[in-house]
Amino acid sequence: MKLAILGSGPGGYVAAIKAAQLGAQVTVIEDAEVGGTCLNWGCIPTKTMLSSTEILSKARELDKFGIELKGELVPNLAKIIERKNKVVSTQVKGIRGLFKSWGIALKTGRGVLAAPKEIAITSKDGNIERIEADAIIIATGSRPAQIPAFPFDGRNILSSTEALELTGIPKSLLIVGAGVIGCEFACIYRELGAEVTMVEMLPRAVATEDHEISELLEKELKKKKINLITKNRGEKVDIKEDGVHVFLSDGKELVAEKVLVSIGRALNSDNIGLENVGINRGTRGEITVNNKMETNIPGIYAVGDVTGGLLLAHMASQEGLVAVKNIMGIGTAINYNVVPAAIFTSPEIASVGIREHQAVEKGIKYKTGHFPFRGLGKAHAMGEIAGFIKLIAEESSDKLIGAHIIGPHASDLIHEAALAMKTGLTIRDIAETIHAHPTLAEGIRESAEDLHGEAIHVPKK
Amino acid sequence: MNPDDIKYHKEHTWVRVSGKKGTVGITDYAQDALGDIVYIDLPEVDSIVEANSEISEIESTKATSSVISPISGKVLEVNEDLSESPEVINEEPYDKGWIAVIEIENASEIDDLMDAAEYGKYVEEESK
Repeated sequence: MKLAILGSGPGGYVAAIKAAQLGAQVTVIEDAEVGGTCLNWGCIPTKTMLSSTEILSKARELDKFGIELKGELVPNLAKIIERKNKVVSTQVKGIRGLFKSWGIALKTGRGVLAAPKEIAITSKDGNIERIEADAIIIATGSRPAQIPAFPFDGRNILSSTEALELTGIPKSLLIVGAGVIGCEFACIYRELGAEVTMVEMLPRAVATEDHEISELLEKELKKKKINLITKNRGEKVDIKEDGVHVFLSDGKELVAEKVLVSIGRALNSDNIGLENVGINRGTRGEITVNNKMETNIPGIYAVGDVTGGLLLAHMASQEGLVAVKNIMGIGTAINYNVVPAAIFTSPEIASVGIREHQAVEKGIKYKTGHFPFRGLGKAHAMGEIAGFIKLIAEESSDKLIGAHIIGPHASDLIHEAALAMKTGLTIRDIAETIHAHPTLAEGIRESAEDLHGEAIHVPKK
Repeated sequence: MNPDDIKYHKEHTWVRVSGKKGTVGITDYAQDALGDIVYIDLPEVDSIVEANSEISEIESTKATSSVISPISGKVLEVNEDLSESPEVINEEPYDKGWIAVIEIENASEIDDLMDAAEYGKYVEEESK
């Protein structure tokens, strides 16, 4: 089996390794850097910068932890970005090393589908190489979406990619879009000292999350003095000497040194030759696939953001695995029932399964259990008591159908809930599982107990 | 103990009347029950508050609690110092820990409140 993969992000590179493990001869075509958006301009760089700002935040509280500081705390953005670049390059080398060890050929250049079993690769110097394959996986990903009123210029109007490469901390930053990316950057740059304002069209920040989660995040943003303007949108922009002027739909005018536009992602389905082979696309330009990740053209698969689904790195990887198994004759279908996701604001947010408002909309009879982190000894020891854990169970079966966490290490804690959902465990199962003390995970057990009105560390209601 | 120059609400808030203005805060009993206060969500100046409804939210290391306004009216001033140092509420609940100044809309609401002696007894009953 000769397999060619367009793109080496979390969809493409994971598929490549899996296919090689199953005995395929694999070629990966990448026109930027292995690891894709996730590793180079997304998940990993933002988390690395966030680690710096979290340390800064903790350092501001040193006296609370009984440590005296003799001197001044000075964040150095150039060094923070230098560290970020080092972390990224280590991971890039890691993927390149894995490719080498599994005998995966990496071709650098722009790959375009020339025929159903042929890809033309144009290298930087303009040479064209054609390769043939028995099967092809398209994993070309996405890029920051642009709105015509806010054209990216890399200096004043930034995309998330450019916000990772600033040479100085802006005095003020206006963020258009208070979704996942906007809120993560708001936390990073606010901690570094920028005045941050976010403008969101929808009624709440991280609007796709459970509403209680959005509500608490908004409060935490307020505590950090991040200004959030909802139900409003930036309509016009004017770059003047004193900064970027943004005119909102309600007539307000805001001024900031820089503007970050984070309104979503545009799919990379243009200029890759889909029309040459007749691959179907949906209304947003997404490549349409079935649950085996097959496009309408036999032998051609698509995975990850370019298929327009959940736009999560780990979902792309999972889809890559499913595509490869089907290519290699192991019939498998993708399942989107249990997909944990994390948002790296401070505090962190993580979720899996149904949101409470979705349960209401679907007419599901459910129960919820809550537990605040401030009820946990470990959270107090760590000095991170903001946030809560919320579990949602189907009333009749007691099965866990949704979990929502905002607070310290939410992104790690969510997986107990994900595993419970995947295996169909009940709230009772979680409540009866011994959780080690003192840990944050005790909060999962307590919230399960609370769902039945049996939590130990809550006052009598 | 509880000062004599102010009036008390059963939700453990107080008001100090000066002409048409009432300064509002939480009582010593409330701050003690809450424990170390880490954050207060101050009301907005010019917003209108109703007696017996939430004027602000306080977070302590133990809990998040509503602050119930003893009187109705427009918020004239808020204690901005509390956003940097909410612990002042623990230290001086009746003085530097005041939360907001409200333009008194209905003087009869004041009459319904408890004086220091009545509040003292009320707290004693509550803590039994």
